[in-house]
Amino acid sequence: MKVPPGVSPADFSEALKQFEDVVGKEWVFTADDDVDLYRDSYSPLWSEEEEPIPAAAVAPDGVEQVQRIVRIADKYKIPLWTISTGKNLGYGGSAPLLGGSVVLDLKRMNRVVEVNDKNHYALLEPGVSYFDLYRYIQDHKLKVWIDPPDPGWGSPVGNSLERGGGYTPMHDHFDAVCGMEVVLPNGEVMRTGMGALPGSETWQQYKYGFGPYVHGIFSQSSLGVVTKMGIWLFPEPEAYVSGTVMVWKRDDLIPLVNVFAELVSSGTFRGTVVLASPLWFGPPDAELDPLRISGSVKDLEEYGARKQIPFWSLPLYFYGPTKVVAAQWEHIKEKFSSISGVAFQEGPSYRFPLSADELAKIRDTVPLGVPSLQIFSLLPPRSQGHIGFSPIIPMSGEALIEALTVFEGVHRELGAGRAVLTILSSFPRAFVIIDLFPVERDVEKNRKMREIYRRLVKEAAAHGWGEYRTHTTFMGDISNTYSFNHHALRRFHETIKDAVDPNGILSPGKCGIWPKRMRKAEA
Amino acid sequence: MSSRREFLQMGVAALALPISAHAALSPASSILDREPAATPLYKVIFDERFSSSRAFAEEAERLGFSIHGIKGDMTDVWYHDLYARWKEGPVAIAGLTAHGPIFCLERLAWDQRMRVVFRADHRYRADGSIEHALSGPSGMLRQAAALGDEINWSSEMASLVTRCPAMRSQTSQSNVIGPTVKHADDPEHLISWVIAPIHRA
Repeated sequence: MKVPPGVSPADFSEALKQFEDVVGKEWVFTADDDVDLYRDSYSPLWSEEEEPIPAAAVAPDGVEQVQRIVRIADKYKIPLWTISTGKNLGYGGSAPLLGGSVVLDLKRMNRVVEVNDKNHYALLEPGVSYFDLYRYIQDHKLKVWIDPPDPGWGSPVGNSLERGGGYTPMHDHFDAVCGMEVVLPNGEVMRTGMGALPGSETWQQYKYGFGPYVHGIFSQSSLGVVTKMGIWLFPEPEAYVSGTVMVWKRDDLIPLVNVFAELVSSGTFRGTVVLASPLWFGPPDAELDPLRISGSVKDLEEYGARKQIPFWSLPLYFYGPTKVVAAQWEHIKEKFSSISGVAFQEGPSYRFPLSADELAKIRDTVPLGVPSLQIFSLLPPRSQGHIGFSPIIPMSGEALIEALTVFEGVHRELGAGRAVLTILSSFPRAFVIIDLFPVERDVEKNRKMREIYRRLVKEAAAHGWGEYRTHTTFMGDISNTYSFNHHALRRFHETIKDAVDPNGILSPGKCGIWPKRMRKAEA
Repeated sequence: MSSRREFLQMGVAALALPISAHAALSPASSILDREPAATPLYKVIFDERFSSSRAFAEEAERLGFSIHGIKGDMTDVWYHDLYARWKEGPVAIAGLTAHGPIFCLERLAWDQRMRVVFRADHRYRADGSIEHALSGPSGMLRQAAALGDEINWSSEMASLVTRCPAMRSQTSQSNVIGPTVKHADDPEHLISWVIAPIHRA
């Protein structure tokens, strides 16, 4: 049996016995074939010595059990790695960052505590999946929408804590968090915001409470185990309209993004778009690919004009009252009409609620708040998984062109194949570029991929672009780039970590933050 | 114009991944004298787009099993059927699908204390044959040796997976190469599988 680093086999056996006393023997997993399920299917370290394999897993079913487990772990200095549903593929899945950790698996804590469709919020346990929440809302005929990411088998609590994104107007998931219940490393339960007021009637309606606002230190964090969380939902809209804005020159991106930024900042548009370049980064094309590699911008533009392929396309969609969304689309067209040659294409439009038959005919339900696993049927046949390099880029056309050029250049220089770069507006005021890399069951290929990934991290940082989130394998690399004033931010994080979690039991190494007792070894 | 989904798909479709070749093992030749009790199957899932998968389902249905067709995406069968059924308790399912559905179903089944207990990766080869890379109870693998002579391999697989033993022996691996005629609508790689509750001593 694997033993956590720095823990004696006798202490570990005793801790496991005590875990069993808390949750029952059937919910403490130590057999290899059980523990193997917590390996990361998308690990870029698969089968390498460095692949972080957990020592065990324990699955409590309530906050009191979490408290007792945390206290036992603290007593024996056993590192715990907390997961909600463990479906965070591409970012580490259910595997810890530190091999030998015990996975604290919260999947049994799957109660929908409340959904309110008058004030549009939910209070959830971490093991609730987007599917669970969607089903609850459907079963209770509530007039609210969730905002699932793609795919939707993960946890709203986990995804929001990791600052994930969806597609509807509630697309910035951490921004939609309102109130948490957290078990601290000493086993104490704390409620944030209005939840600190006993009998509070507004825990999910007012975020800030009184005094310093602490939600943020529990996101992408190792400072507590979130056992309940409030999230804001979207009232079921009356209608949806969509359309695409198309421009034909590369530098049309600059006015296109200027207008888009104004629409986002003014609240005229709320949602995640995929800003695409069908010409530059579109599907493989025998005629077009040579131009992409060695042609000039002008060559591409001429090809696009000839074939009616826009250089940039910006799909937009609106949710709300029928008259309002129609007016929004008309307003959008007016705003973009200042760009020479701009073209508009109407997209699907819907009135809600949709019947089951109507919904079944829609190919992509995720932007309509309906969770799906369809994305897995679109993967290439031999896919073993992928991870994303995902830097935050300023919301300007100039910055996007520069970033795309830099990242494509790294791909070419390191022989990484043609980059397929996707631009998303998952968060207000900035873009995120997603550059997907395959992970394989091939050690050498994964090593090469990691080298390219790390080079991209450095290139991005040198240009002032940092990642918003990453796979556990690269958390230290990303943390190293956030180095202003001799890593003042990381030192601050470490100060908090040492104060709140002096034995360093919760998620050691997460986002580059190590507890004091492990810090030197990792420095 | 390209949709959000098409661009996301393009991103992942760029990930063309080779897979390491399986070492061919000699298939065992004997057939079990007595068949152990089979795992009761709640449902047999197939992909309506693929001829081999349809043939698999036809045979399973002929054998008396309830079948459910998908078109690549398993969300519907899981959300509208298995989600509720598995909440009541684990029940076994089997199928012949592409990678995506079994990848998802396997992980969803883990949460219900079930495992993939039999898996066969079927890969069409350039010489017109098909390779079956099998992993499962040794008794099933011995029976699978017949695939080496079987041109209608998917019907044979249906017969095999629907007889997956309830009490399973040690898991083994083997490779069988057999004759086949690739249907135009079949992908290069299909997977037969059984997901069943785990049994612990």
